Amino acid sequence: MSKEKIKKQIMNLAPVVGLLLLYGVFMIMGTVKDINIAYGMKAIINQSIVVAVVATGAIFIYTLGSFDISLGASVATSALLGGIVYNATGSLLCMFLANIGVAVFISLFNSILASVFNLPVFVTTIAMLSVLNALVLVLIKVNGTGSEIAVPAEAVKALDTTGFKVLILVLFLVLCIFVFNFTKIGRMQKMLGGNEICARLTGISGKKMAIIGFAMAGIGVGLGAFVSTIYAPTLTKNTASSVGMDVIIAIVFGGMPVSGGARSKITAAVIGAFSMTFLGQIMTLMNFNSGIGQMVKAVIFILVVFVATFNQRSKMLPR
Amino acid sequence: MKSSKGMITKIFGIGTIPVATLVIMLALCASKGVVMFETQGNWIAFFRAVTSVMLTTFALSINLNSGRFDFSIGSISMISSIVASQICISMGFTTPVMLLISLVSGIFFGTLSGLIYIIVKLPPIIVSLGVTLFYEGFAFAITDGYGVSFVANTELTSFPSVLNYSIIILAGLAVIIFLFDYTKFGYNYKALLSGQKVSVNTGIKEVPNAVGCYAVAGGLMGVVGFISATNTGNIQMALNFGSIGVMFTAFLPMFIGGFIGRFCNERIGYVLGAVTTALISLMYARLNVDSSIQQITTALILVGFLIYLNNEGKLKKLIKG
Repeated sequence: MSKEKIKKQIMNLAPVVGLLLLYGVFMIMGTVKDINIAYGMKAIINQSIVVAVVATGAIFIYTLGSFDISLGASVATSALLGGIVYNATGSLLCMFLANIGVAVFISLFNSILASVFNLPVFVTTIAMLSVLNALVLVLIKVNGTGSEIAVPAEAVKALDTTGFKVLILVLFLVLCIFVFNFTKIGRMQKMLGGNEICARLTGISGKKMAIIGFAMAGIGVGLGAFVSTIYAPTLTKNTASSVGMDVIIAIVFGGMPVSGGARSKITAAVIGAFSMTFLGQIMTLMNFNSGIGQMVKAVIFILVVFVATFNQRSKMLPR
Repeated sequence: MKSSKGMITKIFGIGTIPVATLVIMLALCASKGVVMFETQGNWIAFFRAVTSVMLTTFALSINLNSGRFDFSIGSISMISSIVASQICISMGFTTPVMLLISLVSGIFFGTLSGLIYIIVKLPPIIVSLGVTLFYEGFAFAITDGYGVSFVANTELTSFPSVLNYSIIILAGLAVIIFLFDYTKFGYNYKALLSGQKVSVNTGIKEVPNAVGCYAVAGGLMGVVGFISATNTGNIQMALNFGSIGVMFTAFLPMFIGGFIGRFCNERIGYVLGAVTTALISLMYARLNVDSSIQQITTALILVGFLIYLNNEGKLKKLIKG
């Protein structure tokens, strides 16, 4: 193996090594500080899974070189509408279907609006972010007690286990890995993200791929909304409020190039989501105040991405 | 004959959107029996909105037009106003000094952001995510999470007035037009904007130009922070990207400004875009429109306007038959 290839492999493994390092630091600090490690790990899994599931679906959008800033608001809207459906029907299955249906509808609406009217997807999602944030407030006002929509905790108690949530993540991850790595769809998406003109000249439909990508992201958002409701069944305007930006951070932190293309990888979402949560927990263990914790997180984020993409520098400044 | 026709087209292109918006907003207010500009407070609110939105639009567009997406402008606005207000409260400085310190702090934090970008050479969107987190965390840390309040400080809260805001609008516009239309920095900026590779190959120094852009955007956001702080006498903290909302206020005026910029200097287009948005905001305030309805309406206007912009050719063909 040439020196260049070895270097490339090391760079590719940087996010995984970063995650293992963070895990190691968490374990060491947890042991030194004598915390309940099992409880800590459960908290980390609970915190990471929503972001991991949503980010895994979002990889399909990012691979195309697109960007969706409304994912967090979409999770909140889907969760609230799912909650309303549960309160009307008393069926968890109906709630689940509502979560998925609403999320896929929102995602496809974004994509179709952009495709039909030739709009930049990013701007469409900015407008959608405003609409969904407003919709969240309206839904809570109209259907809730004024500040929340609550699904009875007993109803979701049986599903609120680490095993069930991990199962959802694993099943969705397997589906995404299959579509992304073992079907034409994944290859077409990578080609579109890498070189749009070339992809179009070979007959790949950008619009079709965008619709598929957004549909996959919608499924992730719907699952995220379901898991979010199971974990915290009292839904407020703050539900999933940080998920939108956390997804972007997780994807980048996990080693996914923000420009999409051939270097895109599904696993980046999971690696990134867990890395960010470990980092957050380490900051908490170090008793940093929230501000300093966030500063350290920012520095580590930039450093990790810098190291992970060290072999991708060009002469000109990236845009 | 031809030139007078061209002039009419220009005047029509420049004035249609703001004038039509003014007429519609006045009519909406009148239909509810409300006078849109009734008190001095209404005028101050209008001018404040124009100033803030105009400066934010300038700041956003400087980097966005060059393909650099910058999430950090809101956090720069927050941290600059915190630094300035902390210094002024502890030293007993006056409002103009606070404005100056906000401006300088903004330039400093903007430059820092630009330096990080050119050193790490990561896509600007990623750098801006890290920088936003860092500045938000820094602001939180230096105020222990409480933010800054100087409601009782009559000196620092005496700034809001139509005259003061007008001075900032004119000064801001003049500086930006001078910088981007009459200096080597501006010529290089335009060259890099239209062809990065060709410009770099012809010897234009991209790195100092990029840092300069971040510095200018930072300075503008420093002033936005000052305007916001002196209006309420309060600076609230934001963590986990809570500061990025500021950026979203600039998209609609930026696209409106881009359209108007076909008929005049683009920067003047941004001012008129800010005027248009401020008129809509004042109507919302005067009619006590619910915040959810405001958000949805503004988003629909943005999408509607973009649909028009991106399908103008098709629409013209359709109309011509």
